Amino acid sequence: MPQPILRVEDVVKRFGGIIAVNHMSMEVYKNEILGLIGPNGAGKTTLFNCITGVYKPEEGRIIFQNEDITGLPPHVIIQKGIARTWQKVRPFKKLTVLEAVTVGALLRIPDVDEARETAKEILEFIGIDKSRWNRLGSEITLIEHKLVDLARALATRPKLILLDEVAAGLRPHEMDELAKVLLKVREEYKLTLIVVEHVMRFVMGLSERIVVMHEGKKIAEGRPEEVANNPRVVEAYLGTKPL
Amino acid sequence: MPGVLAKKLALTKERLYGLIGLAIVLALVPVFLGFNFYYVLLATNVMLAASLVAAWNIIGGYAGQLDLAASAYMALGAVVTGHLLASYGLTPWIGMFLGAGLAVTVAVLVGYPTFRFGIKEVWYALLTSALVVILMRIYYLIYGSFETYIPHMEPEWLYLSFRRYEVYYYLLAAMVVIIIWINLKIKSSKLGYYLAAIREDELAAEALGIDVRRYKLYALMIYAALAGIIGGIYITLTGILSYRLFDPWLGIVTAVMGIVGGLGSIEGAVLAAVILRSLEEYLRGAIGATYPGSHLLVYGLILIIVGVLKPEGLASLIRYVKNKLFYRKREEVK
Repeated sequence: MPQPILRVEDVVKRFGGIIAVNHMSMEVYKNEILGLIGPNGAGKTTLFNCITGVYKPEEGRIIFQNEDITGLPPHVIIQKGIARTWQKVRPFKKLTVLEAVTVGALLRIPDVDEARETAKEILEFIGIDKSRWNRLGSEITLIEHKLVDLARALATRPKLILLDEVAAGLRPHEMDELAKVLLKVREEYKLTLIVVEHVMRFVMGLSERIVVMHEGKKIAEGRPEEVANNPRVVEAYLGTKPL
Repeated sequence: MPGVLAKKLALTKERLYGLIGLAIVLALVPVFLGFNFYYVLLATNVMLAASLVAAWNIIGGYAGQLDLAASAYMALGAVVTGHLLASYGLTPWIGMFLGAGLAVTVAVLVGYPTFRFGIKEVWYALLTSALVVILMRIYYLIYGSFETYIPHMEPEWLYLSFRRYEVYYYLLAAMVVIIIWINLKIKSSKLGYYLAAIREDELAAEALGIDVRRYKLYALMIYAALAGIIGGIYITLTGILSYRLFDPWLGIVTAVMGIVGGLGSIEGAVLAAVILRSLEEYLRGAIGATYPGSHLLVYGLILIIVGVLKPEGLASLIRYVKNKLFYRKREEVK
């Protein structure tokens, strides 16, 4: 096995009496695409928010590249190389597409002009048409939002990207397009991806390995076809078979 | 390296010509007013509002924080400059920077915990509005209700003690041009991009590596410093030091003008300040005497109309005219 790039060790996150993430552990290996699935309320997004520093976990550790990053604020986490995209798109409505990606690029490139050039390269690579670069965030379509979101994250030169339900709300052919872009991006930027997803077709096709969460815990792990046939996973999604 | 510095100071051609054009127009205003004492004073007041709104644009327009304490920072600049001048004969040229220093200090003392605990939107507005009143009470505790008058001092240039308003007009007009230039520089810098991202979505901004608190504080400090300097010039104009300098109404009006101008648009903000301030004076002169207070009513009505019809502010109007005048293909990437 290659070296894990990210280790989640025994993480617990509570909200009042509710335990959203309950002693969750997992490992993510360099350059893989890991699918993180689970029914609604399984704690996937909460786990994401713990990793990216939005929440501070009550227990457990998060190790990224052999460095303990538990509880660091989001703007520090991203400097370490973990970027994310959002479940609900969070566009910069009054910034153009190019400006939004430039904001991301400015993290590593302090000069605005150079950052703009980098942003252009990334937009081109991701395949957003030049004619859309000067559109405002409030004027573009959902798939473009998702791509800009991804481009914004890529511009920060991360080593690991966490994608929170990228495929949600997309049409099937748009999902295929997105999956292609993700594979291409991983190749080019030597990235590791964690994909949280509800759309099974998308996540099963894309991921090399899948972790299944249920009620804040990991209940299964393995290759997509293994996981799909795992009785515990079926049970979590569909409930127990009536006798 | 002078080359790098020159590049940092330079603006794009379009903006530079716009700024030079504005400077020329502002320089000619007193001539058109026939150097009439009263009209030049009005124009000076308009410049005061314009410069203050331009400074506010940095925190309110770019960083998106609804700051209502413009008059607090301005008054701090004013009282430091004024008291040092009246009591110790210190030239306002130094006093205004000391005043700006105090304004920045207060801004940091208030801003750091504010941003640390994530106070924003209406709560930030309330907090900054309270700041004006709190500072007013502190001033009142120290100096009471006494008004301190700054005497006429010679040489005029050293003490900014002129018998005509033109010089004050030009000083404040220069401030308007300088602050617009600072705005434009910020907008095209890393700070500007980061502030815009914070304004649009703080969480997303932070996830892109922006230290939200730090950059908000930078914006607040620049704004406070500029407001302090404006206050320093203003006090040499009026010459009256009083707790009334801490005027909550002025803080609100400044924000209102910036919002009517269109958040994040320096052209819109300055234009709104010029129009609204002139209008206010005109209405006061035209109907304010016959029906006391009615000018405020009309003023409020106009704000509501703008809010309903053009929530994007004057900026969208400016953009429309610009696009008509210099038709550019939107698709083209600069």
